[in-house]
Amino acid sequence: MSQEFFIFVVMVGVFAAGTFALKWPVAVSMLLASVAGALAGGFGVPIRHLVEGTFGYVDTILTIATAMIFMNAFKDSGGLEALSAATIRRFHKIPGLLLVLLTFVVMFPGMITGSSSASVLTAGAVVAPMFAALGIPGVEAAALIAMAGILGMIAPPVNIPAMIIGGGIDMPYVGFEIPLLLLTVPLAVFSAFYFGYRFVKKTDISAVVRTLDTKTLDQYGGFRLFSPVLIVLILMVLDKALPKIFNLGMPLIFVLSTIPAYFTGKRFNILNSAKTAIEQALPVLGILVGVGMFIQIMTLTGVRGFIVVNALSVPPALLYLAIAISIPLFGAVSSFGASSVLGVPFLLALLGRDQIITAASLSLIAALGDFMPPTALSAIFAAQVVGLDGYGKTLKKLVIPSLILIVWALVFIIFSKQIRTLY
Amino acid sequence: MTIIYLGILAAVLALVLWALVTSKKPSFQATAAMVIVPLLLRLLLIK
Repeated sequence: MSQEFFIFVVMVGVFAAGTFALKWPVAVSMLLASVAGALAGGFGVPIRHLVEGTFGYVDTILTIATAMIFMNAFKDSGGLEALSAATIRRFHKIPGLLLVLLTFVVMFPGMITGSSSASVLTAGAVVAPMFAALGIPGVEAAALIAMAGILGMIAPPVNIPAMIIGGGIDMPYVGFEIPLLLLTVPLAVFSAFYFGYRFVKKTDISAVVRTLDTKTLDQYGGFRLFSPVLIVLILMVLDKALPKIFNLGMPLIFVLSTIPAYFTGKRFNILNSAKTAIEQALPVLGILVGVGMFIQIMTLTGVRGFIVVNALSVPPALLYLAIAISIPLFGAVSSFGASSVLGVPFLLALLGRDQIITAASLSLIAALGDFMPPTALSAIFAAQVVGLDGYGKTLKKLVIPSLILIVWALVFIIFSKQIRTLY
Repeated sequence: MTIIYLGILAAVLALVLWALVTSKKPSFQATAAMVIVPLLLRLLLIK
């Protein structure tokens, strides 16, 4: 057994013991796994490296924090609830389309924040009662919300795993929008039909519409309620189209869009709303800090290089199998960690493919890490917002769609050059 | 732009600190403390 492999086993072992056996927070387990790895590598307790590692995702932390504050303000203003109500009222005669559009509503916060937890905890919580009213049982509703959460996390404009993978080979996060839409939209449509259509078609949706609470929507009007989202979209477009004039950055865009949310709908305590948002986001922010430390120590001890070399030397026939198995499994640590530690070497091993489509596809597979116990953020939170006791049944429901997701992503990698010619 | 960035950072840091002191769960407090380290150092322009 090489020393690097031994250190890797120690790190994973301490992490697994901390999260599974001792039920510590994932972030704390990662910190201790990093310390254990450094000790096993003969580096003592390298405080400088541990602190250095925490800086790996500071900008991402700031983006997620401000995006969560925006989403919570939008939710507290009644905007999110009104968006779901408006969707049901407008499309209730076409149940299939209604279901797909509600799935897109759940995806929306993840698209903006790059976090599946943001989707599940904000839009998922709002849409969950509507799924129940449409006749979808709790387990299926939780599975659909969890799947929409990870698809929202991967859909453009913000895809953090793709940014991490691209960053590993100095590839800018440019030109990802179309591949990410091609990857996520069909899966979202499939998931909506797979989990919900057989229940929704049996439900009398006219009765649901009659009992729908549209008070906020009627009082303030759709345009006024949804204007904070329009401001986010406009500022994002301007930021990309005119970078020399605007160049605001995502955190400032979310802050600028949060302020109007206070005036466009129901009044709410903006400080309490922001605090709740931070409390909801904190487990994810902690994981990002922990992943940063974990990866820093893996780099320091040579474990990262060991993984890269092994990934590059995988025979071509086994490469896709290795991608399909190892990336989601490493997601038990974190989907962001899987993107960094495994996504980058696999992208290097696939240099002959179209790099943007390949990185986008690898990010989609990495997102499955949010279903992988013990972290399983998306599945845990989805089960919570629906009101289920545990998330085991939700995970079982997600197995087949997850396999389809992996196959879909691998098809995109294999035919990346042909897909590139389509747009 | 740096001052605006630091202002946003300070606001997020204050919210994390607020969440830490009002929480009674040690596991949540430990996670919050970990998040505070890079935010505080960045705010002080140490790194």
